[in-house]
Amino acid sequence: MSMQNRPAIVAAGRTKFGEHYEKEPEKLIEEAWLKASAEANLERKDIQACYISDYFLPITNKLGLEEGWLSELTELHVPMEVTRSFGSALSNACNAIRAGSYDTILVGGIEKMTDRWDKIRDDLMLLEDPWSYYAGCTPEANHELMLRAYIKKHNIKNENLHKLETALAQISVKNHLHATKNTCAQYQRKITVEQVLNARKEARKPLGLYDFAPITDGAAVLILTSEQKAKKLTDKPIHILGFASATDYLTYPEREDMTHFLVTETAMQKALKTAQTSLQDIQLLELYDQSTVMELISMEDLGFCKRGTAWKTIHENCENYKGYYQIEGKQLFTNMNGGLKADGNPLGATGGAQIYEIFKQLRGEAGERQAKADSELKHGCVLELEGFGTKGYVYILGRD
Amino acid sequence: MSSEPIERRVSYLGDRLRGSRCQICGKEYFEIRDYCGKCGRKSFGKMDESDLFFEKGKLEVSTLINEPTNKFIKLGNFVYGIVSFHDGKIRVPGRLTDRMIKDNDTVDLSTFEEREVVPRFRRRYSVSASDVIPTISLTFTFADEYYPHQEYKKVKPSKDYDAPGIVGYGVYSSRFRIKEGNLERAVPFIDEDSITAAVEAGKLALIHSSIDTTLVGKIYVGSESNPYAVKPIASKVAQVLKLGEEDEDVQGIDAIDTEFACKAASSMFKDAASLVNYPESGVNHAMVIGTDNSQAAPRNSPGGELDLFVGYGAAAFIFGKQDVIAEIEGWYSCTSDTPDFWRRDGESFPSHGGRFTGDPAYFKHVRKASSKIMEKLNLKPCDVTYFVAHQPNMQFPIRIAKELGFKEEQYQPSLQVAKFGNTYSGCSPVGLAAILDIAKPNERILITSYGSGAGSDAYSLITTNQLLDKRSRQKLTVKYQAENPFLEYVDYTTYRRLKLGM
Repeated sequence: MSMQNRPAIVAAGRTKFGEHYEKEPEKLIEEAWLKASAEANLERKDIQACYISDYFLPITNKLGLEEGWLSELTELHVPMEVTRSFGSALSNACNAIRAGSYDTILVGGIEKMTDRWDKIRDDLMLLEDPWSYYAGCTPEANHELMLRAYIKKHNIKNENLHKLETALAQISVKNHLHATKNTCAQYQRKITVEQVLNARKEARKPLGLYDFAPITDGAAVLILTSEQKAKKLTDKPIHILGFASATDYLTYPEREDMTHFLVTETAMQKALKTAQTSLQDIQLLELYDQSTVMELISMEDLGFCKRGTAWKTIHENCENYKGYYQIEGKQLFTNMNGGLKADGNPLGATGGAQIYEIFKQLRGEAGERQAKADSELKHGCVLELEGFGTKGYVYILGRD
Repeated sequence: MSSEPIERRVSYLGDRLRGSRCQICGKEYFEIRDYCGKCGRKSFGKMDESDLFFEKGKLEVSTLINEPTNKFIKLGNFVYGIVSFHDGKIRVPGRLTDRMIKDNDTVDLSTFEEREVVPRFRRRYSVSASDVIPTISLTFTFADEYYPHQEYKKVKPSKDYDAPGIVGYGVYSSRFRIKEGNLERAVPFIDEDSITAAVEAGKLALIHSSIDTTLVGKIYVGSESNPYAVKPIASKVAQVLKLGEEDEDVQGIDAIDTEFACKAASSMFKDAASLVNYPESGVNHAMVIGTDNSQAAPRNSPGGELDLFVGYGAAAFIFGKQDVIAEIEGWYSCTSDTPDFWRRDGESFPSHGGRFTGDPAYFKHVRKASSKIMEKLNLKPCDVTYFVAHQPNMQFPIRIAKELGFKEEQYQPSLQVAKFGNTYSGCSPVGLAAILDIAKPNERILITSYGSGAGSDAYSLITTNQLLDKRSRQKLTVKYQAENPFLEYVDYTTYRRLKLGM
């Protein structure tokens, strides 16, 4: 059954991602909101509700209730709800539109992580999985364990292991390459496979500096409306055709399978069903590459590659990279904004930047980084995760 | 800043690795659950309590942590991974401990994976000096190294005794040593302290005695290096080892810490024995632990002479009247107010009276207690098979043993100070354990402790036939720990750092 009352995105705005030590957190979301509202030609009074996400802004920035702070900023007294991830905020907004509660909603995401640089890894780890934290886990360690478990399970050895390691490096290189055309990206510079490998050597680990997304400040805002309202505001609305989320145990070691994320697989299957689309329809893909391993595993969890084979596909495609993955003869433009690795990863805003990218690409407004597809771009998919695969959100976006 | 209620809950589960198992589908959980997630409501009341404390696991995957989170920085580099128990039915996160990894060391993780590991009770991470000390047993060591896995099996007692005595014992010392001249001394790993050693020794004593832990009615822990000025070690030992009948999350046992310099534990032997011998007490077994991360000021500063001798370790003894391995024949204690060694409240290290610690202190009290008990029991030195004296250094116990008329073969086997250093409250008890490890049935052991301040307790023990029956249950003997091929030797700077802890 396809979705009734398809929610539509009519405008999107975001800040540059990176370190914004000079700015208050509210300045960032204000900047994103101003860009989005200008694009949709909306005024504050047109907003009927706000769904805002931040992973841990009250911890990093010693803030009170975010809703009150937003009310002061916008002089709005409408319903406002705060969630931890953009995917979650958007889910709530979509459900509200579909229920007919509102027809114009501001969906925003904000994070300001660099203000707590010295303690942030402890915070991140404690929120991600307290028992693992107590046993000494770091935000990077679970990615390494997942990689080792994956290698073991699929018995990847020798030359293949070398290819897998290279493929992971190539993911990072590809994302950095894409980000060179993204003026909002945290890192707009190319890197090489050698740099990625050297960083691992320096760290004496299977994953190094260039395998992980950075600590980032930033904000992103969407204007979400009903299908009817969208027609009045724009002639190029992007519809949310399907969305789904799933949850899993907080403690990663306790999950049945340590080599992939159940949440991604579950959410994708449901999202495709509600969107009445198939995998083959997806041309644009924004993955949640908190690490290169996460991007690799996600390709399998979403169904684009068979289990234990994504590294082969990636390696084959990246040896002579054309700007997209060629999978079974079809183009798949992946992480066109540079991914979390190069665009940046301001947790609560990250999903917003992912949706922003698909929105711009589907509208043909991505400028220099516009995907040059063989066929007309119609469908995009976004995967956002929370914790270490504790929650997963999948959005299928499309235009008529 | 920490939260005490959170600390209580985390350590309640994490120290013992408490879990649950569904009677219907067999799913296991690392946490206490009232029902099974898979079976739902029908599993209410059908969850078995379980814990992994005495089990062995398998390290499934691991990774090197060389950029730890802030609270783990003092650990340096370490290996972290995922440990499975019960053929993978239950998995937990875990840190490998007792392993020093230098920045340039290459760590081949493939040699770690699939290996059996044993949970170890340790400090969890660093906190500020005023906080509650967090502990956990999600720390592991390999079963094929220093610390083998040993099953804890409850065995129904087969024999009653008229006199109370020792029914089991355990000695724990660390994997690390400092060697200076002929003297080797045990050094705690950075996540160890007198609390963790007490728990380890108690655990080993339970394994050795095979008693039912619910029948332990009293626990005494003697120490002079409790990291808390106020807060007992005994309560931690009682909870982690589940001593006494557990009701909700409270153990049905009396737990108390004692302090009298190096005789804090030995003094309680008679109290434990008397208690189990008093029918109305309802106490079947009483446990006494002497534990110390022996303190000493750095060398070349006041009190720094002690730094040449201090060790680390604990010894636990369980007293009872069933399946006794050594009966108590008699005792004698003496006390005088002799200020030979002390530590003022708030001071990090003890001070001592130099020359004064010898004749008016150690020798006077050990001599008095030893000769008085021999007089009381009408014993001559030749009636005693082994003599154990408190051993703050190599010279003192030998001098007093000779003076009392004992021959080398009578006192030499108990001398462990050259292997572990002076383990303060654990010192003469470790000597006693070394004897129990090798003694034959029907031999007499005379042990005389000494505690500065000052006093001595002398005991005469007679070994029984059951000593031999129980011996095979304990792999971690004193000799095993003294001569283990996996011992790691550290330099002076590392020794001071490790001793200071997290």
